[in-house]
Amino acid sequence: MSGLVETLLWGVVNGCIYILLATGLNIIFGVMKLVNFAHGQLLMIGAYVAFTAATVFGLNAYLSILVAIVTIALIGAGLERLTFRRVLGTDKLNEIFVSLGLIYVFENVAVLLWGNKLKQIKSPFQGLGLSLGEVSISYDLLLAISVVTVILIALFVLIKKTKIGLAMRATSQRSDTSMLMGVNIEKVYIFTFALGAALAGAAGALYGIIFPFNPSIGALPTIKAFAIIMLGGLGSIPGAIIGGLLYGIAENTAVYFLGGIWQDAIAFALLIIVLVIRPTGLFGEKGE
Amino acid sequence: MQKMFANLFGSIGRELLSFYRSEKFYFVLGAMAIGAIIPLFVSDYVVGEVLTPMIIFTIYASSWNLLAYSGQGSLGHAAFLGIGGFASALLAIKLGVPPIFGLFLGSLFSAAIGLLIGLACVRLKAWFLAMVTFGFSVIIVTLISQFDTVIGGIMGFPTPLLVERGLPFYYMTFALAAISIFAMYLLMKSKMGLAFRAIHENELEAKMIGINTAKYRLLAFVLSTFFAGLAGGLYAQSIRYIQVSVFDAYYSFLPLMMVVIGGLRTMEGPIIGSVIIVSIESYLPRIDPIMQGLMGPLFPSVSNVGPPLRMLSLGLFLVIVVVFLPKGVSSLLYKICNYFREETKEVNKLEGN
Repeated sequence: MSGLVETLLWGVVNGCIYILLATGLNIIFGVMKLVNFAHGQLLMIGAYVAFTAATVFGLNAYLSILVAIVTIALIGAGLERLTFRRVLGTDKLNEIFVSLGLIYVFENVAVLLWGNKLKQIKSPFQGLGLSLGEVSISYDLLLAISVVTVILIALFVLIKKTKIGLAMRATSQRSDTSMLMGVNIEKVYIFTFALGAALAGAAGALYGIIFPFNPSIGALPTIKAFAIIMLGGLGSIPGAIIGGLLYGIAENTAVYFLGGIWQDAIAFALLIIVLVIRPTGLFGEKGE
Repeated sequence: MQKMFANLFGSIGRELLSFYRSEKFYFVLGAMAIGAIIPLFVSDYVVGEVLTPMIIFTIYASSWNLLAYSGQGSLGHAAFLGIGGFASALLAIKLGVPPIFGLFLGSLFSAAIGLLIGLACVRLKAWFLAMVTFGFSVIIVTLISQFDTVIGGIMGFPTPLLVERGLPFYYMTFALAAISIFAMYLLMKSKMGLAFRAIHENELEAKMIGINTAKYRLLAFVLSTFFAGLAGGLYAQSIRYIQVSVFDAYYSFLPLMMVVIGGLRTMEGPIIGSVIIVSIESYLPRIDPIMQGLMGPLFPSVSNVGPPLRMLSLGLFLVIVVVFLPKGVSSLLYKICNYFREETKEVNKLEGN
């Protein structure tokens, strides 16, 4: 019984990381209609940036999340300006090609800078936890869940209440018309990409606190984040949140009942089944 | 417009005739002559480890290109490479099918799996399909690991001998590649190819003029997986061993890189791309010690900076090609050819005057 509860908890924590990644991808897709397959590599770089901030500069692990967010946002802005802007609106496959090239670039830059060995960010609460009867919950997991909640609330406020959020929503609906209404869509694009990248950076820092990581961890989370977006519906942030939680829990439960080798396969099986039944995703709108 | 209608009603015979009359014919003849003669002058090692993989990956990349013609993309083509390889090897070992039939049965099996996957996802948009195929290549690894007692894929096993390695195997692969690529060329010149192009240009409009887009997308997918399976069977033969690592994402991204670098949606693109990438992968490791001496002290956390630097430059190369040379290296070659043609024209004109 306690095993199952812990499985569910880990599922929620995994889900939280997936939510950040999937929301970032979804914002980018929603506003720019761009698919960035190198999103998981931004997570990986985020984990390494937070690691460097925590070990080299002796920052608290949870403060290093902020460093990761800012750095990855800047990297994201640079990427949008230098690569994606040039292929945006050309062949859809070109975006996939560029992001695949970026995957190679990021992974190997990480290998060159930080090496291939597994690393983990040292948390100040290592080994400490709440114990409720048989189940013990580490503070890190609880903190991760609260950090994600805070970030999501901030994101919600940003999109619903601020001017740039309004511009983003307008661009996502009709980019041409919003341009005519005086929205500088190039600025909106660069901001959107930086925002999505920042979310990936935050996800990476949290990942680095909870799990050990190396330069090749980025690939699978990207694919899973895409799966979540498709489950939740393209462009829908609530869908990404619900999808992310469900996915994290489903994945961990599958490992608990079926064994570790099924971890990745079960998720994709689920995805393929959903897409066959509903090509637009569970909560997706018709037409996309 | 007229040309389009001529294409639409053109039969294969007319295509062959126009191909024979076009300049391209001489290029193809020249390329085939080079491909046939070069192996006679190089060492066995080069034939086995460089030229044969080049030819096999040309088939593989062309199969990916065929899919791209219809506006679809796959990020999990390694699934079909692997299925082709495993099926052809297992058929020969477990059921005693002669390896040459095993090769084709393996490709057919790969196409059959492709049909099943395709049926599930022809309605999906380009990047959805890319994701699903990637997911499928992950699932296949799990399945093969799960049924390891029957298949034995984790440790791998040697494949049965089809043709003597070295020159005979090279020429067989070369012939198969020539047939495959020519078949794809005719396919793209036929009505079916026109439908593929129309779907890629604008799916909605293609539907409006009466093209059954789902059918043609499925056809493209099945044909592509057939050729990927053929490449897989040959690949398993060429390395004489098959293992579950053939499903790695590396093998899924390889055809994509070759096609994009060579020239997307051109017949010569996969060939040029395959030659470039295989040469890079075979010969660039030789400068690793030099790179280690030059760059090693800068990156103390890695023991050998060669492989990551190589992969890094490959990634950069891909991005640069897509951004600055969207039609690939082949378009560059055309430009150079045209430039020289203009030169000769001008010289002729001057001499005429």
